[in-house]
Amino acid sequence: MNARHRLPFQAGAISVLAFGVCILSVYGSLMTGGRSDIRLSDLFAASTNGAVILDIRLPRTLVAACLGVNLGLSGLILQALTRNPLSSPSILGINQGAALGLTIGVIFPSVGALVGLMPLAAIGALVAGFMTFSIAGVFTGRIVSLRLILGGVAVGAFASAMVRFSFTLEDDLARQVLRWTLGNISDVRWHHVQSLFVWSLGGTVATLAMAHRLNLMALGEAQASGLGADPRLTLMIGALMSACLTGTAVFVAGPIAFAGLVVPHMCRFCLGPDHRILVPATALGGACLLMAADAASKWLTSPVELPVGVVVAMIGAPYFLYQTLFSKGAI
Amino acid sequence: MRDILIFCALTVTVVLIAIWSLSAGAVSIPWYVIGNTLFDIEGPKQEFIVFHSRLPRTLLALLTGGALALSGVTVQALLRNPLASPKIIGINSGAALAVCLLVLVLPSAGLKWLPVAALSGGLLAAALVTGSADFGRFSSGRLALIGIAVGFLCDAGVDFILATSADAQFSAPLIWLTGSLWARGWTHVQLVWPWLVILASFVLVLSFRVDLIQFGDSTATSLGVAVRPLRLILMGLAAALAAISVSVVGVLGFVGLMAPHMARSIIGGTHSRIMPCAVLIGMGLVTLADATGRAIAPPIEVSAGIVTALFGAPFFVFIMIQSGKRSQV
Amino acid sequence: MLFRPKTFSSLAAGLMALLPFSVGAAEITHELGVTDVPDAPQRVIALEFSFVDALAALGVSPVGIADDKKRQRIVAEYTAVIGDDWQSVGTRKTPSLEVIASLQPDLIIADKTRHSGVYDTLSQIAPTIVLDSLGGTYPDAIEQTLVIGDALGLKDKAAERVAEHEAVMAELIAKIGNESHGVNAQFGVTNATGLWLHSPLSYNGSLLEKFGFSSSMTPQEGEVYETNYVPTTLEQLSVVDPDLLILGKYADPAFTDGWAGEALYDSLKAVEASNVYTVNAHKWSRMRGLLAAEMTANDVLEILTEFSGKQ
Repeated sequence: MNARHRLPFQAGAISVLAFGVCILSVYGSLMTGGRSDIRLSDLFAASTNGAVILDIRLPRTLVAACLGVNLGLSGLILQALTRNPLSSPSILGINQGAALGLTIGVIFPSVGALVGLMPLAAIGALVAGFMTFSIAGVFTGRIVSLRLILGGVAVGAFASAMVRFSFTLEDDLARQVLRWTLGNISDVRWHHVQSLFVWSLGGTVATLAMAHRLNLMALGEAQASGLGADPRLTLMIGALMSACLTGTAVFVAGPIAFAGLVVPHMCRFCLGPDHRILVPATALGGACLLMAADAASKWLTSPVELPVGVVVAMIGAPYFLYQTLFSKGAI
Repeated sequence: MRDILIFCALTVTVVLIAIWSLSAGAVSIPWYVIGNTLFDIEGPKQEFIVFHSRLPRTLLALLTGGALALSGVTVQALLRNPLASPKIIGINSGAALAVCLLVLVLPSAGLKWLPVAALSGGLLAAALVTGSADFGRFSSGRLALIGIAVGFLCDAGVDFILATSADAQFSAPLIWLTGSLWARGWTHVQLVWPWLVILASFVLVLSFRVDLIQFGDSTATSLGVAVRPLRLILMGLAAALAAISVSVVGVLGFVGLMAPHMARSIIGGTHSRIMPCAVLIGMGLVTLADATGRAIAPPIEVSAGIVTALFGAPFFVFIMIQSGKRSQV
Repeated sequence: MLFRPKTFSSLAAGLMALLPFSVGAAEITHELGVTDVPDAPQRVIALEFSFVDALAALGVSPVGIADDKKRQRIVAEYTAVIGDDWQSVGTRKTPSLEVIASLQPDLIIADKTRHSGVYDTLSQIAPTIVLDSLGGTYPDAIEQTLVIGDALGLKDKAAERVAEHEAVMAELIAKIGNESHGVNAQFGVTNATGLWLHSPLSYNGSLLEKFGFSSSMTPQEGEVYETNYVPTTLEQLSVVDPDLLILGKYADPAFTDGWAGEALYDSLKAVEASNVYTVNAHKWSRMRGLLAAEMTANDVLEILTEFSGKQ
């Protein structure tokens, strides 16, 4: 990476801004919800209000933060590996595959009970990702950018068509499918935090350790092999990490679109292309985005809550459009 | 000679599928009764089932299947990409968003206007996509990406509406979303057939020009083709064909993606050959899907869109991997 | 268009075939207009469960029911009256028009939310009346029973039957009212993934109101519950905090079962006093009408006996 790469903003200003945004989103996520009588001081009170904030709101905020870390990093890795700034689980059809897995589990309760809903989601995500990459030509050695995106959209469309089939069945099934497939964290508890946190922390550390390899990869595979890092190894480890990070996120919340696209983009725009900076920045940015979205999901249509995935999509989709309309780099 | 044989075989297959479609459904009707009803012969008849349900549905499946396939070939040629489809230029998602908005604003009373809303939503999205891609430097990749982005934006809107609204009032539009010919009748056929036939003949007349545009902009220009107007006209025709079809049968997106591939692998060559072939395949696919959906678990109706997705997906992925090995597009 | 000339001749034939219906017909006003229904229709098709309830109340057996292809969804209380002789016409969402036509009905009863879009097609098969079952409340359901009675040419019988029902209900309500006064009751449906409360706008909400219960599902300042069925988290439930929580469970274990042991759940008034009751989700949530209301009232009476025993 070019050491003299000029940052658009001053490092100091960015840190202050990031800190402010972070505090605001934590506060927003903790202070919104069904009950309006909760104060921050209740955190230390041994009362019902204390139980609300300790048992319900705190784990929810933490889950949102972890989801943001996982999804952001997963997108960052995918974008570096495919050298395509639009790669992310939703564009590549992986999210829709996960939704299809969940739907199959809901429609056929026997399958759902046998395998479990969340493993089904992971299987769906894996199959969809595999199909997209096959279409893109990963087995012929090189990935064609536009083919990857269009293949992902086609795979995603196939999967979501089958998800929508459930809408023609019973009201109760349709309701469940909608709830699962729009990305919902309204009922998470501490055990969800436990299963996510390990992955988020481990993922951040591992991605940070890979940052140099990702930098080489983003430069181009040919150069990467010239510089002594085997691109195939990077590709394999990266794909595996990305799958694990997305999979654990889907496992807890269902598919959440666009977080993996928007956050790495914004970070790259503000901080330049060096992954050693991008990895921690993306993790932090993802956490902030999801916590802010969580706050909005509780507040926007109060007293009824929105699925958090819908809020993220309402932020992410316009950004994606803006990006395609005005980005300099052509695909 | 080989071409003639292929076309004959395809036509015969489509006719056979259409005839089977008349007999397939929740109620089994003997052939002579179907014949009596169709040709007004004395004897037992099934007026509603054969004449007001299955026949218009079959015709509508033939019409929209052909239109969607033709639209698919055109879009793929214009974008010079075999993975493009009418969905890529935002038609399906735009139509879906318009329908959901309609139901949100005018619950149940507005259902009559569902085709109108779908048509305008689809065309608006397509115009937005083509317009913004045409504005500034045009590249087929940029057009595809803008289309995908607009599609995702509309999908996000649909999800938002579905998540915030009472689910019951959306049961009818949700069925439309899955791409179904349930309860379609003569009114729908009469609504769309003149438009589809006229638009389709325009596209078929222009088919030889499509070949030129496929060589690339500079080559086409040097051959004396006014590329930009031709591209806009063809895009408009393709969008209209798809949007009209989607407005009556819902999101039946995969026909536009699959039929062109099948046509190319069966016949290949110039678009004056591929296009009619794709039309026939599209007709056969949708008719077969609708009839199968009716017959598979009576009296429950399985949407044609689901049947195409279910059987089409593995086939599509197989073709794409095969073609990926041959060429890199 | 190969068949176009025939379209018109056949449409004309179809209209001619409809003519006999308009002889000696009753004009029924419904959600989507006015329909001429023949005198005393014999072959009736019901596309929602509440219409089956009305038919059972009037002692009329339908020839076809949109029973979601699950015959057990038409419960014993109904089959005792209407018998077991109906044919399934498919799901309530997309009933098979072919099967409906093949049954040669002379009256189709359709739901406003589900079937408005196919009203024209259904009318082509037989005279169709459209009523708001899914979005309606308990008083609406009574009103619809009278309309159905009118359409069946059983106007007097329907009025009689409704009066009889109201007497039964009055008696039940008198018993319930002793205990229900000042008690806050809430009904909700839970499946494997969530809890949906039925607000006072819904059928069950209006029925509980009729029984004399109050509802605390009144939103906070500036906020409104606009829908019948409200997805609810534990935190929101703790705001509603009813004295009596009645749950219909579609899944076992249900979603709410996972809340047991949590401090906030245990602090709910209904949970503290162990006043959470489970009822038959299908009967409460999917069935509406006279018979269904009486079943619900009996359930509530049973619950209240236990409830007051604890006071």
